[in-house]
Amino acid sequence: MAINKAIYKRGKTAGVFPSLSSRRDEAYMNFVEDARNLLLHAQQKPIGEYSKLLLKNAGKSMEPDPRSTTEAKELLMKDNVLKTYYRIKRTLQESFWECTYDSLNMRKNDLLQALDDAEKIGPGSVTYDPDFSIPEYATAEIHIQPGGNANEPLSGLLYDYGSKVFMGGAADNDMFADMQASTVGAPQDGKVNRILDLGCSAGVTSSALKRIYPDAEVWGIDVSSHMVRYAHARALEQNHDINFKQMLAEELDFNDNHFDIVVANLLFHEVPVSVSKKILSETLRVLRPGGSFTLIDFPGDKTRDVYTIFFGEMDAADNGEPFLPGFVRSNVEEIMEESGFEMSPYDPNKFLLAGRIGFKPNN
Amino acid sequence: MTDKKSNDLEDLGNLPGFKRGNPTYFENEVIDHLISITLELGAELWVVKDRLAHVEEILSEENKLSLSSLNTGKPSALLQEQLDKERKQIIKRIYGRLYSKYGGESAEEKSAI
Ligand SMILES: C[S@@+](CC[C@H](N)C(=O)[O-])C[C@H]1O[C@@H](n2cnc3c(N)ncnc32)[C@H](O)[C@@H]1O
Repeated sequence: MAINKAIYKRGKTAGVFPSLSSRRDEAYMNFVEDARNLLLHAQQKPIGEYSKLLLKNAGKSMEPDPRSTTEAKELLMKDNVLKTYYRIKRTLQESFWECTYDSLNMRKNDLLQALDDAEKIGPGSVTYDPDFSIPEYATAEIHIQPGGNANEPLSGLLYDYGSKVFMGGAADNDMFADMQASTVGAPQDGKVNRILDLGCSAGVTSSALKRIYPDAEVWGIDVSSHMVRYAHARALEQNHDINFKQMLAEELDFNDNHFDIVVANLLFHEVPVSVSKKILSETLRVLRPGGSFTLIDFPGDKTRDVYTIFFGEMDAADNGEPFLPGFVRSNVEEIMEESGFEMSPYDPNKFLLAGRIGFKPNN
Repeated sequence: MTDKKSNDLEDLGNLPGFKRGNPTYFENEVIDHLISITLELGAELWVVKDRLAHVEEILSEENKLSLSSLNTGKPSALLQEQLDKERKQIIKRIYGRLYSKYGGESAEEKSAI
């Protein structure tokens, strides 16, 4: 396979992603990964208990209303241990990207050539337009990933490697995506001929859906040409016949009533709420009557306590997620219902392993 | 209702992470720098320890060293296992005390999910 030629022979870590360019970079990254696990993830529970105690001792309310949230933030951000935790988080995030970016850039030409080569072969296809006009909100450097999703030619590889490290191994071999895809709603009549994956990034969810519905025609769309190019190369390696196309989820280039299943995995928290509403009406338009839509994303604030909201907002800020807090506050299942979906029950406690599932009404 | 709520995000501007450039979490930005510096020094020290262990392994077995095997080769699985263990111990020992106020220095390792 063409892409293998560009891969420095150290094995692969995720998808078609080659491991970093030198032993030095690997050792540096091992340190960053372990520091994240020990100094961040392992602390999450005890530091949560500590924070809740601070709130309790100060007589603060745990109700998730805006006023209590603001008061909690003011109080907690005065504490030096918490400041240290968030400082470490940001620093490790920055060092992670710096190392990954520099390491991949050493082989930039080879990697881009491999994506060019992959474009010419199937199964599956990739379509994009060099003159595509990217909306400003989609140029944000989400996750503080250098260049963001839309403006960095290696963004697909960076994103794929980032998911591997940020998920602490759960993303390896598409394990987590397979679990998520198994929770996607199917139309009640069971007919599934066409599937659309909105905001597909590296195409991990598109591939997981193809494994569940091998005979269906699967489409993955993303605003970023660099993402769909990488997604195609990645699907090619898995020998999946999937069509990737650069497209805006709020301006879908598909006919009415075309798809049986539409999925959006972690797209909605990366767009402003005003855009979410347009995506929902476009999704209803392209779904056939009885078709299902599954929106997998973070739970809304109505189901959380003040500390969880504080933690989520700090995380959003440190992780460069400008639209995440607005998404959480929008409680999107309510907007889905207002938009005209017939909703299934939703369990926020399953977090990213249960979507909000809505059906297009039959009449 | 939904619109009103979702647009009402001015308070988020106060979160340090949303500031572009170098966000500061402490009133005295030197503290921010010092924490970043210690982490960076730790990572670079680890790079050197990893390389030295790799050099020692090659020399003790082959008596011959090439730069390319150091840059692009890998230590044996056994050495890798020892290195993984040592790295975690070092991180806990050096940085764990930052969380001693609530007993976090003994928190068990955990991944994101
Ligand atoms: C967190 S990633 C999605 C992850 C992916 N669905 C998966 O399951 O692995 C969000 C993606 O949405 C894309 N995106 C953002 N706004 C978009 C829009 N309006 N239309 C299409 N894609 C968009 C970004 O380029 C990015 O690749």
